[in-house]
Parts: sequence; C-alpha cells; structure tokens
Amino acid sequence: MQAFQIRYRNTQGTLMRILNAASRRGLDIPTVHAEAAENGHQVTLALEVNAKQIGQLYREWYSIADVVRVRSGAGHGEAWSAAHPPAGVTLDASLDDGRSAARA
Amino acid sequence: MPRAAELRGAEIVLQCLRAEGVELMFGYPGGAIMPLYDALDGSGIRHVLTRHEQGAVFAAEGYARVTGEVGVAIATSGPGATNLVTGIADAKMDSVPLVCITGQVRSALIGTDAFQETDVFGVTLSLTKWSRLVRTLDEIPEVIAEGFYWARSGRPGPVVIDIPTDMLKAKKEFSGPVKFTPHARPAEAQADGGFTDTIVAMLQQASKPVVLVGAGAKLSGAIPELRQLLDTLNVPAFATVHGLGAIAPETPYYLGMVGMHGTRAANMALHETDLLLVLGARLDDRVTGDPTRFAPYAKIVHFEIDPAQLDRVRPCDLAVIGNLADTIPAFQAELRKIPTSRKTGETRGTQLPDFSAWRSVACGDERAEFDPRGLAQPTIRFLDELFSRLPKDNVILADVGQHQMWAAQRFRSASPRGFITSGGLGAMGFALPAAVGVQLAKPETCVLCVSGDGGFQMNIQELATVHRLGLPIKLVIIDNKYLGMVRQWQQLFYERNYAETDLSDNPDFVEIAKAYKIHARRLNDEAMREFPVSSETADLIDSFLSSPEPELLVFDCAPEANVFPMVPSGAALSEMLLEDEPTH
Repeated sequence: MQAFQIRYRNTQGTLMRILNAASRRGLDIPTVHAEAAENGHQVTLALEVNAKQIGQLYREWYSIADVVRVRSGAGHGEAWSAAHPPAGVTLDASLDDGRSAARA
Repeated sequence: MPRAAELRGAEIVLQCLRAEGVELMFGYPGGAIMPLYDALDGSGIRHVLTRHEQGAVFAAEGYARVTGEVGVAIATSGPGATNLVTGIADAKMDSVPLVCITGQVRSALIGTDAFQETDVFGVTLSLTKWSRLVRTLDEIPEVIAEGFYWARSGRPGPVVIDIPTDMLKAKKEFSGPVKFTPHARPAEAQADGGFTDTIVAMLQQASKPVVLVGAGAKLSGAIPELRQLLDTLNVPAFATVHGLGAIAPETPYYLGMVGMHGTRAANMALHETDLLLVLGARLDDRVTGDPTRFAPYAKIVHFEIDPAQLDRVRPCDLAVIGNLADTIPAFQAELRKIPTSRKTGETRGTQLPDFSAWRSVACGDERAEFDPRGLAQPTIRFLDELFSRLPKDNVILADVGQHQMWAAQRFRSASPRGFITSGGLGAMGFALPAAVGVQLAKPETCVLCVSGDGGFQMNIQELATVHRLGLPIKLVIIDNKYLGMVRQWQQLFYERNYAETDLSDNPDFVEIAKAYKIHARRLNDEAMREFPVSSETADLIDSFLSSPEPELLVFDCAPEANVFPMVPSGAALSEMLLEDEPTH
C-alpha cells in the first residue's frame, strides 16, 4: 500500500479528477482524506500500486490544471523510481538528489 | 467614468467568445440554451446549425483540426449535452482544442432530475481537460477565458462549460472580457540544453537510429524545423496516422505510416532499430503492437509536451518534455556542432536492412504482393486516382474502418493538416460532419471526405447541413456492404463468423443523396481493373472533383477486400500479416 499526498486548489472537479486518475486504472481507493491545507487543499490517498502505476499517476495528477504538488508517503526516491518524473516538475532538492527537474 | 453596460448573461458569453477570437461555432438549439440563441443576432459570431449535436461537435473538431484554432460547439442540456460526449472523447484522444458550451436547467432545479437535466459536468469529467458548471453570473468572463486557455495550452484538449439557463437570462453590468492568468505551476523544464548532448551521444553510439513522428509535429507548428532536423539526421523516418504529412513523402528516408496497418518498411525498421527518437507521438497500442516486444532492441528518446503520456505503454530511456517548437531547434543546434560525417549514416555502417525494396512496396509499386486475390486492388487504385487528381490545395478526411487505413496508406501529401481522421477514439461517423467544419474553415480548398457505408450512416443527417450551406465537399463512400474492418477481423481471427456485420441491405446512397438535393453517382470497382483507367472513368472522377457543388460518389468495393499489412492485436510489429491467412 502506497500513500500519496496531493496538494491542489479546491476548484470544481479537481478532487474528482485526482480520484479518477486512480479509479480509471481499476485501483481500489481504500482511504481518502481531503482537507483544507496551507494555501489550498490536500488529499491523502492509500493505493495498492506497482512502480509503473506510480509513475503514471504522478504524471497524470500533475497534468490536472489545479494540482500543485504530489508527494508519496513511502519516500520520493521510490516514487520517482518509476522512471521519468515529469520534467516540468521541480523536485525539492531534499527529496531526491539523483533526479533533477529536467531529467529530460 | 462611463458606466458599464448592462447585458444578459448570454450576451456576455458571446462577447467573451468574440474576445477569444471565435468567429464560427456549431450547434443545435434547445430549451436551456435558448437564451444564447436569442442573443446570437448581431454578436459577430456565425452559428452553423447541424442536424445532430454529434454533428456539431465533430464539425467543430474539423474546424479546429484544420486551423489549429479552438473549435466551439453549443448544445442544450440533457440529451443535447450527452450527444456531445463522443466528440469530446475524440478531442481528448487526438489533442484537439475544443470548447463545448452547454445549457443547463435553472440553478434552482439542478440536482432534482428536472426535465432534460443531465450532470454533464460529471459525465464529461474524465474526458475533459478542464470543465466548469457556472454558478454565478459574475464568473462567466473568467470561466470562458480560463476554458479557452486550457483548451489551447500545452497538449490541446476539450473543455466543457455548463451554464444554467437562468444565468444566460439574467442581466448584469459588464465591463468587458477578461484575460486569464494561470496560477503558478511547478516550474516548466526549459528546452535550452541538458538533453541535447545526451541525445547526440546516444546517436553517435547507435547503429540503427530511426525517427517516429506524431501529431505533436503539426500541433507545434514546427514542421520546417522538423524537416530540417530529419534532413540533418538522414535516418529512416516514419509517421503515425496523425503525423502523416509532417514528413515530405518524396524524401528518401521516409518509410510511410507505422503501426497496425503501417508499411512493412516502417514496422520492420521500428522493430530492428537500436535508437528510436519519438517526436510528438503518444505511442498507443495501435502504434506499438505488443508493448513488451515494441522496438525490443532500442533505447527510446521521447519528445513530448504532455508528461502524462510518458511510459504509458513502453518506458522510455530519456524524456524531453516541451513543445517541439522549442526542443527540436535546441536539438538541431547541438547537431550542428558535430561534423557532418558523424551525424549521418556514414559512420554507423549499414546494419539496417536495405529499405529500398520495402519502400517501393510502401509506395505502391509492388502493392499486389499484399493482395494475392486482388480484391483490394480496385479500391486502392480508386483512391490513388482520386488523390492524384485532387487540386494541390486539398484536405482529405477519412472516417473509421478499412477505407480509413487504405486512405492513410495511400496519402502522399506534404501537408501536415492535410489528412484528418478520428485516430485515437476511432469514432465512426466522424468524417462527414468534420468535413463541414473543414470546408467552412477553408472555403477555397478541395475537401474530400472518404467514408465507409457503415460510418456514413452514423451521421448521414449532415447531408442536410452540406446542402443548406452549399458546401462543395466531395463525398466518397467505399461501399463493401459490410462493417468491413470488423468483418476482416472476423475473417482472420473468428473463423469467418460474420456476426452482425452484414450491411447488404444498405439503402441506395445515390437516392438518399438526391433526397438531400445532392448530386450523386456510382462507380463499380470493375472500372478500376483497367490500367490505366478508361478515359470515361477518368472524366467521371475529374468532373466529380471539380464540381463547384457538393457531390457524392459511391464506389462499390469487393465485400471481402482486406487491408494489409496488418499487425494482429497483441502481436509484435514484426509479425505483420501480409495477406489473408487461414484461420486457426
């Protein structure tokens, strides 16, 4: 089980789009917790996913207009190890120094 | 300071659309959207009435695909809105900038299952790039500006704006359209280096590099830069169905279309390459075949504007995120720094198979090899005759099915937006209404619309639109009296069990066209068994194409003609069927 924390602006449908990225892949979503957070909202999800799906989910979540940041509770290095983090995303230096924003 | 004018919501919507550059939109009126129609007169926007909302959204797509501008479709609530859904899904798959505006029941009735109420926001959530249900009159300008921003930006796509009818009727002071400024997003990667030297190094180590070009090339507008890059690289190159026209077909390195019905040369090159440069293609299953055996020996460099497309089917080794208009010149600049002999094939040896023979097959000189029974030859020759006799300024639309793949295989134009089809979704019924949008966008262009007998009947009502507007679209039906592509699969993979694909009771399309006041004629495939074609047949085709009026030409095709090559679903690209094979 992998935990994800997604920061987003709470505009119409954004939370649904975040959840849909998981449900369209047939993933069960046993845990969802959404709440107001600093400068926006955040949702925490627990998902049973493989490494390839982690990479796909990261990139799909980031493609949603009002998603601000995606983190994984199990360690970012593991999350990003699904190859090719979105090059358009700047990773915090503290998260994973092995992958720059423009791995591309 | 002058007081802002008081306008109805519908008038505000139309003014905001004009501010976004909208001059033409397609739609179908109904209860909830009526206030918008009431305000149309004098808005400066031309509205084209189709005969079905699906016709409207496909027409808007046709307009958007040929111009690169945002297409706009309008529909009412409930069934009007749900009839847009296939077009919205199509726009999502094929990266088409599209804004759909739907009327909704009165705000007070939302959620009550009111007459013609559908949660179109919810229905289309997973199909749209962005969407809004308007809740206050005040937010209309911002919503429209933001919707157009997302439809155009990055990888283009569909947007839905649902407006309750009371918002369209209510009045407020309106000080003018607004501009949308996107919120701060995670930093975008810059295409100013970092990747270029890596790719050049990979190129220099590779012995069999190839280039695959997709729709991103035309969407980026970087066709000249792409062609310059391909000339510099001088390695085998091929295109997806949406990349057709991006590579000039006469260039010696061009191997044609790749994928399920791609050329043998392109598919074999893709199978044997050790370095695949993907420029603006999603790499969907119709291109890759079995993903575990796709380009099995290759490192893959994927140039892509949308990070969400990476690694979906097959992981890449290097991703270059950005618009090809930025990344190709950066790559080209790096290539210019190295000696010519190192960036051409001279130092890589000649380990690739000799493509010259395969290329001639791809170009049709030996096409009979793939059709030993000769069933498809007349249709292929018919398309060749049609395409070769088109005026230079032309656009070809293909619907979905066998004729689509034959047309894609025979397409020989260097026009990047010259071949339009529903590629990702494969929506039958697309071509006829899309041709309406294309012809309205390009009134001086010869628009040739090729459909099958199945797909043509899915939006046949748009013949009325063609007639009403007097659009000189050249309509062709390849009539094999089957759902041909499905029948082909049934023949090859389901032991000829032609379950529910027989359309031998089709109506007489010539008579139907006449009922819509469109001139129509029929050509039998026997006419194409003569080579060269008779002067009578040539004259018929020429007069068909040169008519200033809409025209329909029904081509009677052999019922069991098949499209080859064909990569069976789940097979590797190297496992193409080249002719009918016994079923197992």
